[in-house]
Amino acid sequence: MIELIHVVKKFGDLIAVNDLSLRIQHGEFFALLGPNAAGKTTTVKLVAGLMKPTSGSVRLAGYDLLAHPLEARRLLAYVPDFPFLYDKLTPWEFFRFIGQLFLMDNARIERAAEELSARFNLEPYLGQTIDALSHGTRQRVAVVSALLHDPAVFVLDEPMVGIDPHHTRVLKDMLKERARAGTTVLVSTHQLSVAEEMADRIGIMHEGRLIAVGTRDELRRQSGTAGALEQTFLALTVQDSRTREERCAPVDARAH
Amino acid sequence: MNNVPSTAASDPLTLLLGVNLRQSWRRLLSLRRQSRLLTAVIACFLAGYAALAFTLFYKGLKFAGTFPGLGAVLIERMLFLLFAFLFALLLLSNAIISYTALFRNRETEFLLPLPVAPQTVFRWKFVESTVLASWAFLFLVAPLLAAYGLTQRVSWHFYPMTVALIALFIVLPAAAGSYASILLARFMDRRSFQAGALLVTLAMVLLAAFWLKPAPVPDDQLETRVLVVLDRLLGKTRFAQFPLLPSYWLSAGVQQWAEGAVGAAVFFALVLLSHVLFFGTLALTRTGAAFYNAVSITQGRGSILRRWNWFRAWRKRRRTITHRRGWIERMADAIPSIRADRRALVLKDIRVFLRDTTQWGQTVMLFGLLAVYILNLRHFGAQLNNPFWTQVVSYLNLGACALNLATVTTRFVYPQFSLEGKRVWIVGLAPLGLRRVLLTKLAMSIALSLVVTVGLMMLSSHMLKLGADRVIDLSLSVVVMTFALNALAVGLGALYPNFKEDNPTRIVSGFGGTLCLVLSFLYIVASVLLLAGGSSWGRTGQVDWHLVVGGRAAFLILSFGAGFVPVRLGLRRLTNIEF
Repeated sequence: MIELIHVVKKFGDLIAVNDLSLRIQHGEFFALLGPNAAGKTTTVKLVAGLMKPTSGSVRLAGYDLLAHPLEARRLLAYVPDFPFLYDKLTPWEFFRFIGQLFLMDNARIERAAEELSARFNLEPYLGQTIDALSHGTRQRVAVVSALLHDPAVFVLDEPMVGIDPHHTRVLKDMLKERARAGTTVLVSTHQLSVAEEMADRIGIMHEGRLIAVGTRDELRRQSGTAGALEQTFLALTVQDSRTREERCAPVDARAH
Repeated sequence: MNNVPSTAASDPLTLLLGVNLRQSWRRLLSLRRQSRLLTAVIACFLAGYAALAFTLFYKGLKFAGTFPGLGAVLIERMLFLLFAFLFALLLLSNAIISYTALFRNRETEFLLPLPVAPQTVFRWKFVESTVLASWAFLFLVAPLLAAYGLTQRVSWHFYPMTVALIALFIVLPAAAGSYASILLARFMDRRSFQAGALLVTLAMVLLAAFWLKPAPVPDDQLETRVLVVLDRLLGKTRFAQFPLLPSYWLSAGVQQWAEGAVGAAVFFALVLLSHVLFFGTLALTRTGAAFYNAVSITQGRGSILRRWNWFRAWRKRRRTITHRRGWIERMADAIPSIRADRRALVLKDIRVFLRDTTQWGQTVMLFGLLAVYILNLRHFGAQLNNPFWTQVVSYLNLGACALNLATVTTRFVYPQFSLEGKRVWIVGLAPLGLRRVLLTKLAMSIALSLVVTVGLMMLSSHMLKLGADRVIDLSLSVVVMTFALNALAVGLGALYPNFKEDNPTRIVSGFGGTLCLVLSFLYIVASVLLLAGGSSWGRTGQVDWHLVVGGRAAFLILSFGAGFVPVRLGLRRLTNIEF
């Protein structure tokens, strides 16, 4: 379970995340959508513990990230949009390294790595150093390494970038299975189709605020649109921009 | 689902050390895939440097030791001074490297969401930056200490003892550098911190300028001039023997051990050890929280100048779209007969360079050192009244200017082509073509370098009070060297491109960058020897024109080869490049 409680993150004068409160349940697939600079990546980084919130708190499976960071991180897996991998290691060596950091024994690491590598068709690459692999293959290596320890919370930032359609399908199936098995999945993406097809609930961020959250049908009702998620998304973000403009207009008029 | 530790695994620090050692070993092995000849050239260069440094130190120490009554004092003071300066340099390099390793590093960002305590990440980065910041120090002092040991006829145990003392010593600047980098990361956006740092730097520069100000020797002291100068020198360098400096403990320990004063040497070793234990323990056990806090702040920080009103106003102005051309664009327009596509490329390169703080910072540092060098020459010129020494110093000055240029070409020009990076297709697929891209980069780097090198040569020659003929001769030589060194850097940059890396420092530290540095150095040494060898050396009426013309001709042929061959090979490589 992921809990964000009145989270604020400021970058100087800019409020990147503005009073965000959100609870993603155990076994839920949650998609975070939003236009560029909406605060999605900052939110994901806050959940991954890469940043401390300016105020508020983040909890993973009940553990506060600041008070119990190691306990929380043992349950977490995080795959950024451009993951870091050790270039001169082979994927197999990398899996073993990650597994050992999560205190897994060798037999368990091997079992999980074999199973996941087979699923993502990584076997032909396991003996090559990572610098020789294509972007998509590296992305698959990052996903496999993240899933090795069977995380309770899985956070992904634009996970499908660079992955071919076949392996995108494999990843989608895998995420769905994990969610069904109890993993909390948080995906930040621009690909509305991913959210539409897979998410139990969708959150839409705009200018640092979570402007809408709910199932696809709830969002449609809220936006007053029917049809594809794209229309719902556009309607909600445009509506929010207008509301903000209207709210600011009298202030601007006074200022002038 | 939840992971309960099922077995006693290695601790994370050991795992991190193991993984990174394996990476480094494989990088070293991958060098073998490059040309063996080139690898051998680099290995020979390193071995040659060590042998040359040892010989020079040995002869220098022997020579200094021959001064009756003064030799021992001079050698002692030189060691104290050297280690004091190296300590200051280690502090600086540790602070810079620690900052990069802790706060601008993708591995740190990768490790923080993993179940690895921030303290462990800090420990690993501390080890990494200590090694990166200190290897050059070890490479520099090893031949000196070997030469010192031989001239002092020490016992065998001097060498392992010295190694132990140095191993202890390097921990102190590493710890101080890592604390400094955390402080910098934490507070560098505060206005009071910035103003304070600026004031402290200014005060230190003024203090150094006042302290090192040369005083003329009065006429009545001319007969005892050497003693007076020596006395002043010893007085001005006494700061190196300040007892609270770690470099003092190291120098004193080494010298006492060499003299057989084991008790005193052990005392200084224990002083070093106690400080290493105290500050090392603090760094390795009590810094994790401060480090994590600073990482979080740097991740979420805008510009470090954001608290200044002028900066906010400037940024606000920049947000307003104007179609006015900036000063760089207007300057580029002033260049006659340059095609629009080449002008666009030049503009892009200049803008990218000017907006990269790292590039800027290193340029400022390099030119700061250059300014110190030039300012010091003005004191030197007054003492050059012998034609032989005038010649020696003028060629050494040429060598120094060329070495400075080689630093610039290797550090800034060599990575230019690689810095096109994953965007290389933008210029590669444009009608301009990669061939013209490379030649434009070459022309731009030569034009910019010429401004610096010719200006530098004329200014330094003026400071040395050289005659007009010497100034013209040296300026023409440096013009030729500017063409050759830039062509070498651009050619090798195209021959060994690294489009995967965005960090120019990393591009330079690869195989091609190292080769560029080695070849530039060898070219400069050969050029200066050829030019100096074919010089009249102040012998009026005895000029051997065969020697002069021969030396110049050989220099021109060497320069042509050093510049033309790499560019030709680089251009040929471009025809097969895939992006």
